[in-house]
Amino acid sequence: MTRTATIAVALAGLAIATYLTIVHYAGGEPVCAIAHGCATVQKSTYATFAGVPVAVLGLLGYVAILASLLKDSEAARTVTAFLAIGGLGFSAWLTYVEVFELEAICIWCVGSAICMVLLAVLATTRLLRAPAR
Amino acid sequence: MSQSKQELRAQRRAHREALEQAHTAADTRRRRLFRLGAAVASAVVIVAIAAVVSTSSNGAPKSVTASTVVQGVPETNGVLGDPNAPVTITEYVDLQCPVCAQASTNTLPTLIEDYVKTGKVKLEARTLHFLGPDSTTAAKVAAGAQQQNKLWSFLETFYANQGSENSGYVTDDFLKSVATTAGVNADQALEYAKTDPATAALDKANADAQAVGADSTPTFTIKRGDGQETTLAVGATDLTTALDKALAG
Repeated sequence: MTRTATIAVALAGLAIATYLTIVHYAGGEPVCAIAHGCATVQKSTYATFAGVPVAVLGLLGYVAILASLLKDSEAARTVTAFLAIGGLGFSAWLTYVEVFELEAICIWCVGSAICMVLLAVLATTRLLRAPAR
Repeated sequence: MSQSKQELRAQRRAHREALEQAHTAADTRRRRLFRLGAAVASAVVIVAIAAVVSTSSNGAPKSVTASTVVQGVPETNGVLGDPNAPVTITEYVDLQCPVCAQASTNTLPTLIEDYVKTGKVKLEARTLHFLGPDSTTAAKVAAGAQQQNKLWSFLETFYANQGSENSGYVTDDFLKSVATTAGVNADQALEYAKTDPATAALDKANADAQAVGADSTPTFTIKRGDGQETTLAVGATDLTTALDKALAG
């Protein structure tokens, strides 16, 4: 049950990250809009992390989480929890940058951050609630 | 009697098994909590690394690089090129906008080489400041540079050294370095930035942007003589096609 929910949320996150990756490479709206938003965030210098677009990092993260959900073993559950909690940390940092550094909010990035929060909660619950060995 | 002995044995076994199970469950739980703790710790490390990488790669550049985009083109109070050129192109910018910095290398060189230097077009700039406090500080010093007929040189040098938005990199030292490299008397420009006319210049730029409907940067507008100012293009795109069409029409 928890696993199914986790897969669903990870797929939603994957969809968002895919969209943001496409936008990043297609270079849609190559402007800084006065109405703050995704263009500002995606065009900012924070949009890449050590040369890699953060959208791509998100994409890879969600793929890894989905891959870890293929198996229902103790090890797999631990890996999912690790990835989701790590992803949550990174999302928290990006949201901080959006709000306090860029003073711009990208609704898609917020959507991804919410997915990561849900994933971290679900993965933790799943790991703790699994039958003891 | 023997029955009760058997029962007793079964009871003891059940009790032992239950104890073992409880033990295993507690063990597993402890192990899992420990792993979760490790996951949280690694998340904290990720955030710390993210913060360090961002600040080291996004902060202000250490040495200021010069820009040659407007080199050798005369400027008269913010108007770049021949003041009598029949067509005016105005660029609406925010000094912190990364796309404006892109335009400085993608759009402007061709525009200046083919249209400004040939006397067909003169360039004006309106420095907006919607991206945050660093934009405002920079825009005021840009107004100071304009007083010295060095606005464009200052803008392009700034773009060549642009840091990350609102990271606080637009310090007096940074502005002085940019101004000096741009050929501006830095002290004078920074002094002017504190005056009311500098603030008024920012308000005028905002009003002009609103009047023409420029809601993102960079926006390029076109005006023939004293005619109506209209939007030519938005973004760091090549203006040649749009401009040729406008000049022919």
